[in-house]
Amino acid sequence: MALIEVKNLEKIYGDGDVTTPALRDISFNIESGEFIAVMGPSGSGKSTLLHILGFLDRQTSGVYRFGGKTIDDYSKDEIAHVRNKKMGFVFQAFNLLPRATVLENVKLPLVYSGIKQAEWDAMATDVIKSVGLLKRIKHEPSQLSGGERQKVAIARALVNNPNVIFLDEPTGNLDSKSGRTVMEIIQELSEEEKRTIILITHEESTAEYAKRTIHLFDGRVVSDEKVKYQRAARDFVK
Amino acid sequence: MNFRYTFKTSFTSLIANKSRSALTILGIVIGITAIMVIVSVGNGAESLILGEISGMGAQSIVIRPGKQPKGPSDMAGTLYSDSLKPRDVAALKKKSNVPYLVNVAPAVIVPGSVSYGGETYIPMIFGWTANMMSEMLNLYPAEGINFGENAIRDKASVAVIGSKVKKELFGGSSALGKKIKIKNKKFRVIGVYPPRGQVAFFNVDEVVIVPYTTAMTYLLGISHYNEIIVRAKNPEVVARTVNDIEATIRETHGITDPADDDFFVVTQKGMVNQIKNIMGVLTAFLSAVVAISLVVGGIGVMNIMLVSVTERTREIGLRKAIGATDGDILRQFLVESVILTALGGIIGIALGTVFSLLTSFILTHYLDLNWSFSFPFLAVVLGIAVSAFVGLIFGIYPARQAAKKNPIEALRYE
Repeated sequence: MALIEVKNLEKIYGDGDVTTPALRDISFNIESGEFIAVMGPSGSGKSTLLHILGFLDRQTSGVYRFGGKTIDDYSKDEIAHVRNKKMGFVFQAFNLLPRATVLENVKLPLVYSGIKQAEWDAMATDVIKSVGLLKRIKHEPSQLSGGERQKVAIARALVNNPNVIFLDEPTGNLDSKSGRTVMEIIQELSEEEKRTIILITHEESTAEYAKRTIHLFDGRVVSDEKVKYQRAARDFVK
Repeated sequence: MNFRYTFKTSFTSLIANKSRSALTILGIVIGITAIMVIVSVGNGAESLILGEISGMGAQSIVIRPGKQPKGPSDMAGTLYSDSLKPRDVAALKKKSNVPYLVNVAPAVIVPGSVSYGGETYIPMIFGWTANMMSEMLNLYPAEGINFGENAIRDKASVAVIGSKVKKELFGGSSALGKKIKIKNKKFRVIGVYPPRGQVAFFNVDEVVIVPYTTAMTYLLGISHYNEIIVRAKNPEVVARTVNDIEATIRETHGITDPADDDFFVVTQKGMVNQIKNIMGVLTAFLSAVVAISLVVGGIGVMNIMLVSVTERTREIGLRKAIGATDGDILRQFLVESVILTALGGIIGIALGTVFSLLTSFILTHYLDLNWSFSFPFLAVVLGIAVSAFVGLIFGIYPARQAAKKNPIEALRYE
């Protein structure tokens, strides 16, 4: 059974006479441990797709199963719990709490996890170390560079050790050098930790870091193929 | 989401907006301060008045002419009514009528001044019996003696004076045996009371007591009394004695229906109840005013919390995206508004205590009242509870607005 199953997925905004289809008849499967880039120009429906995959939004028709279950199998609070425990989110705009330190930002998902507060600091420190920001742990976001902020966001997405990490244009607000260091971490997560990664981007060059790309155009899947020559953000990638 | 963390988060966000938080809770601070001052000053006033009343003694019963005053305008009726006469006193003295009566003394009030040599002073002049005064207030002349039954029977021109009257008229020299003038009639001073101050609504130091018979005949030219004071055997028989007195005077006056009474009876207990009623009504009224101010303060809190929710839309979106339930968000904002208002309550209590202390200081030192400051624990508990409750009630709407936000739109919010 695939980790993510999408079948004939449709999303239509608006109701009555004025309707805008955002996604049309989308079908694909994603296995655990895959590294997928969802590509497409703006307005192609990739953010809408990500929201549905992340249980943040609901499709109009079709089926989406995450770990064999649909959004309707859960109550509202259970969905929040699934997002908390099994999914990690990284956004283009980082979305860090401005007046909280790196440590506090990374701890945030633990607050809603049911894990004992005594363990929060150690868990958060671990992931902060893994993204290489240990010396910045007491800093606030305003004291960090863009690349560093996105690494904090990645650490936050990892702290609950989720199966899947959704990244929505993670390098969109970064210069190319910072973007590369962020992609380095993401590739590491895929190669070394075998995490499932779903990366949304409109840049061909960023999509090439993935192993498989799904191209969207006007809400339809126009191609779904393996990346022939995967780019390596660092030399170790085979 | 655990409570300690919620508390810390909320507190941090309130600290981050110090001046706004301070302005937000101003209404609550003022409301709770007002509660504190009202309750504290109210308690002080009540104990002051009750202290005065207790000065008359639990065994004392005062009979006044006229109808029981229902308001200030009725007081005049009491002063000018002439329904209490010597025959009433004679009837009360009969053992069969009022068995537990141990002493009875009529009293009249003499308006006017008293002079000696070139000095004039306006004291409170009572035509009374000196013994009753001493018995009621446990106050005996420091120099000289009280006048007795003979002086009353003979309408003697003698007086016992308070310490301040003595000081004003005679200064350092002795007053005993000297003749003071009241309404051109000379009275020989035979006793001087020691200083005592304010007791039972009059200042003992400023009194001049002359035999009531003398006062009625030579000073006032009347044949009725302003008051009759009765001492019961002990506090336990006061209620019974009041009944006996009422029955006796009704009989003397030929009254069958108590509604037609041309006299009324005052006891310490009755006065205490009356004062407590008045203070209760007053406190309730003021509390209602304060409650309105708390509601206004609560609306202010709600307003600012709504602004805060809008400002932090992205934060809310993020928290929901990473696993916060609607309940988590609701609790976070609710705790924030409760902390805000409870803080207002605590500040209000501190300010209220300061103002109450200041009030009691001023009343004690500048108005020379025997005022005692009491820290109103009940008002403190009530103040914190009420302010937290206001935060809870007025925090619900903003917190629900926060909890209802759609995470996708919230994350997109600029």
